[in-house]
Amino acid sequence: MPTYRRFIPVLFSALLSSVATHTYAVEPDSDWDTVLEEARGQTVYFNAWGGSDRINNYLAWVAKELDTRHGVTLEHVKVGDIAEVVGQLEAAKLVGRNEDGNVDLMWINGENFAAMKRNELTWGPFATHLPNSRYVKDSPSIKADFSVSVDGLESPWGGAQLVFIHDSAAVASPPRSADALLEFVRGDGRFSYPAPPAFHGTTFIKQLLIELSAESASSTQALSEPVEKADFNAITEPLWRYLDALHPLLRGAGKSWPTSGEMTRQLLDDGEVDIALSFNPNEASAAVRGGQLPDTVRTYVFDNGTIGNTHFVTIPWNATAKAAAMVMSDFLLSPEAQARKADPEIWGEPTVLDVALLDEADQARFNDVDLGVWALPIGTGSVLPEPHASWTVALENAWIERYGQ
Amino acid sequence: MVWLLAGLFLFPIILGLAGTVLPSIGWLPTIATGQGFSVILSDPRWLPAVALSLQTGIIATVLVLALTLLSLICVHDTRLWQWVSASLPPMLAVPHAAIAVGLLFLISPSGALVRLVSPELTGWARPPTQWVVPDANGWSLIIGLVIKETPFLLLAAVSQLQALNVDASLRIGRTLGYSPARCWSRLILPRLYPRIRLTLLIILAFNLTVVDMALLLGPGNPPTLSVLLMALVNDPDSRAAASAGALLLAGLVALCFALMYLLERWIAGVAARRRRSGARGQGFGVFRTLGQGVVLGLLLSCAASLVLLLMWSFTRRWRFPDAWPSEWTLQNWTSRADVLIDPAVTTLSIALTVALVSLVSAIMWLELERRALAPRIDGMWFLPLLIPQVSLLFGWQAVALWFGWDGHWWTVVYTHWLYTLPYVILILAVAWRELDPGWGHAAQVLGAGYWRVLWKIRLPLLLRPLCQAAAVAVAVSVAQYLPTLLLGAGRHQTLATELVTSFGGVDRRVIAALAVLQSLLPLLAFVMALLYPRWRMSRVQQHVKSINPQPVLP
Repeated sequence: MPTYRRFIPVLFSALLSSVATHTYAVEPDSDWDTVLEEARGQTVYFNAWGGSDRINNYLAWVAKELDTRHGVTLEHVKVGDIAEVVGQLEAAKLVGRNEDGNVDLMWINGENFAAMKRNELTWGPFATHLPNSRYVKDSPSIKADFSVSVDGLESPWGGAQLVFIHDSAAVASPPRSADALLEFVRGDGRFSYPAPPAFHGTTFIKQLLIELSAESASSTQALSEPVEKADFNAITEPLWRYLDALHPLLRGAGKSWPTSGEMTRQLLDDGEVDIALSFNPNEASAAVRGGQLPDTVRTYVFDNGTIGNTHFVTIPWNATAKAAAMVMSDFLLSPEAQARKADPEIWGEPTVLDVALLDEADQARFNDVDLGVWALPIGTGSVLPEPHASWTVALENAWIERYGQ
Repeated sequence: MVWLLAGLFLFPIILGLAGTVLPSIGWLPTIATGQGFSVILSDPRWLPAVALSLQTGIIATVLVLALTLLSLICVHDTRLWQWVSASLPPMLAVPHAAIAVGLLFLISPSGALVRLVSPELTGWARPPTQWVVPDANGWSLIIGLVIKETPFLLLAAVSQLQALNVDASLRIGRTLGYSPARCWSRLILPRLYPRIRLTLLIILAFNLTVVDMALLLGPGNPPTLSVLLMALVNDPDSRAAASAGALLLAGLVALCFALMYLLERWIAGVAARRRRSGARGQGFGVFRTLGQGVVLGLLLSCAASLVLLLMWSFTRRWRFPDAWPSEWTLQNWTSRADVLIDPAVTTLSIALTVALVSLVSAIMWLELERRALAPRIDGMWFLPLLIPQVSLLFGWQAVALWFGWDGHWWTVVYTHWLYTLPYVILILAVAWRELDPGWGHAAQVLGAGYWRVLWKIRLPLLLRPLCQAAAVAVAVSVAQYLPTLLLGAGRHQTLATELVTSFGGVDRRVIAALAVLQSLLPLLAFVMALLYPRWRMSRVQQHVKSINPQPVLP
C-alpha cells in the first residue's frame, strides 16, 4: 500500500508541472527595482563547471550573500563540461520546452556561446542593463567572445590566460616556446597535457597552432575567421607534425592523459610532471597557500605570449528564474565580488572590471590583494587572441581522430 | 496489488528499453535526430572502445571467478578464513567510486606503495615513469573491478557452502585419498557452480558496462564503450548514436553470456572426464601458500585504499617520496563542510527513503507470495541487474524528459528503488520462505488477526534479515552514480555524483574526504544492522527476566 500511495501524487504532480504555465514579468531591460522585487524568493540553478573546489567555495560564498542581500537561493549545479548543458538546452528547444527550464544561469564562453547564439538559446541582451556593467573594462575580448560578437547576451565574469607552472627546485629554466618544449621532453623533461576536448588541452593545442603558424601571415589571418573558410589541413599540418614528435615522449607516452588542468597541477606536486597548465595566472599562489604546491613553484608564459580570453554567464531563453539570474549576474560583477575572486586565497582570477572606474574604497579592495611570488608577474607576456570559435570543435575532432583511438 | 507492484517494477524497465530502442532507429526525432546505428558504427572510437570493454570486462570476470575459487580452496578451513569471511560484508559495502579513488592513491607511480619503499629500496627520488595510472590498457580498471567484485561472488559462494555440506564432502574425498584441491575441484565445485552462476552473470554484465569506476580508473583515450556512450548521450546530435550504442552494448553482454554458457559446457565435459580418471593428485602446500598470499593481497589492498582515503582527508602536505604526510590538518573537513554536508544529506535522505520503500515493497510481495496471491518469479527481480545500466537508463531518462519527470527527487528515489529492490527481495526471500509458519499459526489460534501476527510475530522474528536487507539497500543506493546523474538532472547531487564529477579537478584531499563519507554511510548502516537486533534481543531477554525472574528449567 505505502508504495502505491506515495507514487500517485508524484506522477500527478509531474504531469501537471509539465503542462502548467507560468508568466514572469521581467524582460532583459526591465527596471532594476522590478527585477530585484521579482527575484526575491526565487531559486537560481546556476550550471557551472564544478571541477575546482576553490571555485565551488567561492560560489558557496556568493550563495550566502545572495540569500542575505536579495533573498535569492543559489543552487550550483556542477557540470563536467558545459557543452553537455548546451546540448540539453538544444534538446529542450526541439521538444518545445520554452518555459520552466532546468537552467537559470550558466557559465560559458567560446564555441558554446557561439552555439547558443546561433541556435537562439540565449534570452536577450540583459548584460548591458545590469547596474554594475558600467564598470566593465573596455576590451576586445569582452565585446567579442572568440571573435563572436557578444551583444549583451552574456555578462562577463572573469579573465583568463594560459600559463605554465613549474617547480624551480626541479627545473631551473623551463621551456619558453613550442620548440623548446620539444627539446625539453627529448631530454628528461616530464610533461603531458589534458586530452582534448578537455578545456586546457584544447587551449594548449590552439596555443601550439598559433605559435607554429606565426611565420605565415595567411595562416594567422585564417585563424581569426570561421574555419569553414580556411584550408584546415594545410594550416594544421605543422601542428600534427609537432604532436607526432611530442606524444611518444610525454608522461603516459601519448596513450594515457591527464583529464584536466587541475590534474596536471596535482601531477606537478607529485613529481610525475615538471610543468602544469593553468588558465589562471594566480593559480599557483592559491595552490601554494592551500598546501597543494611547494613554495618553489613559479608561473610563466611562452616568450611570444599565450592565449587569453574572457568567460561569461548567460541566461537561457527558457530559464525559470530570470530575475534572480539577473540579480546574480549583477552581483558577480560587483567590485566586492570581483575583488574577492581576484584574491589568490579565495580563487585568484583576474577581474573583468576597469579598476580605474571604481571609487577609492573599491579600488582599495583590489590593491589589498597580494598575488605573491608564485603567480605570473604582472606585465609579463603578451596575451594572444583566441582563434575564431569554430576552430575549437574542428581542432578537437581532428585531434580525437588522430590520437584518440 | 500484485500487478501494481510488478507493474511499478517493470514500468521503467520496459519504457526504458523502449526509450533506448526508439531513438536509436530515429523514431523519436524530438530527442534524437538521425540514424543511430550507422553513426555509432562509423565512429572511429567504436571498435577500440568495444575491444577495451571486452578486454577489461572479461579479464576482470575471469579473475574474480579464479580468486573466489582460490579463496575457497586455499583459505577455507584455515585461520585466515575467519578474517576473510568477516571482511566480506564491509568490503562489499564500500562504494565502487570510493575504492577506485583509494586505489589510485595506492598504485600510482607517485602513490603510497612507491612512497613507502622510496627512495631507500628503489633509489627513486622522483616517481618512476615506467607506468602510469590509469594506464592505457585498462589494467587499473581490472584491478579495481576485481577488488570490488570478488567479495560479492565469494559471499554468494559462502552462503551456499552449508547447503552443499562441504565439510562432509571434504572428509569423504580425503578418505578416498584425494588432495584437498581435488576434493574441491571434483566434489564441490561442480555442485557449487550452478548455484553461483547467476551472481557471476551479474558480475560479468557489471564489469562489461560499469561507468563510474571506468571514469576513474579506466583509460580515457579511447574510453570503455559505456563511458564513450555517456559522452554522447547528452548531445541531441549524437543521442541516437548513444542509444544505438547502448543497444549494441546490451547485445554484447548477451553475446558474452552465450560465450560463458558454451565455455561452461566445455569445461563441464572436460571436468567430467577428469573426474572419472581417478587421479588423486599431489599435496599442494606451495600452491596453497601462494593462493593465500593472493587472497591476503586482495584484502590488504582494499583495506589500504580505505586507510589512504582517511589519511589524505586529514593531510595538508604529503610530498613524494615521503612515506608519511609531513603536515596534518582538519581543514579539509572543517573549511569544506558545505561541499561535504549538502551531498551527504541528499545521499542519506535518498538512501533512507529507498531502504524504507524497498523494505515495505519487498515485505508486501513476499507476504502476497506466501499467501499464494503472487506468483514466485525470482527471475524478474534480476532484470535490472542483468541489463546494462547504460542501456536501460538512457531510455528511462528519455522517457522522464518526455514527461517532465527528470530532476524530481522522487524520480531519483524511484530509479534507485529499481536497483535496490532486487537485492532486498532476494535477501529477504530466503528468510521468509524458511520461517516456520507454526509461530504465526499459534498466534492466530490465540486470536491475533493477520496484521497483528505480521507486526508482532513475523517481522520481529525476521528482524535480523530485515536489518541486513536495509543495510544492503542503503549501500546500494549510496553507490548509485548513473541513475542519480541521469534522472536527477543535476539537481540532486549525491556523494557518488559529486565524487566522480569532481575527481581530477577538485583538491585530492577534499576528494578523499568525500570518499571517506561515501564509504562511511554504508559501513555505519552495516554496523547498525549488526547491533540493533542484538540490542533488541537483550531488551527482550531483560523483559522476560523481569516478568519471570526464576529461570524456567526444561
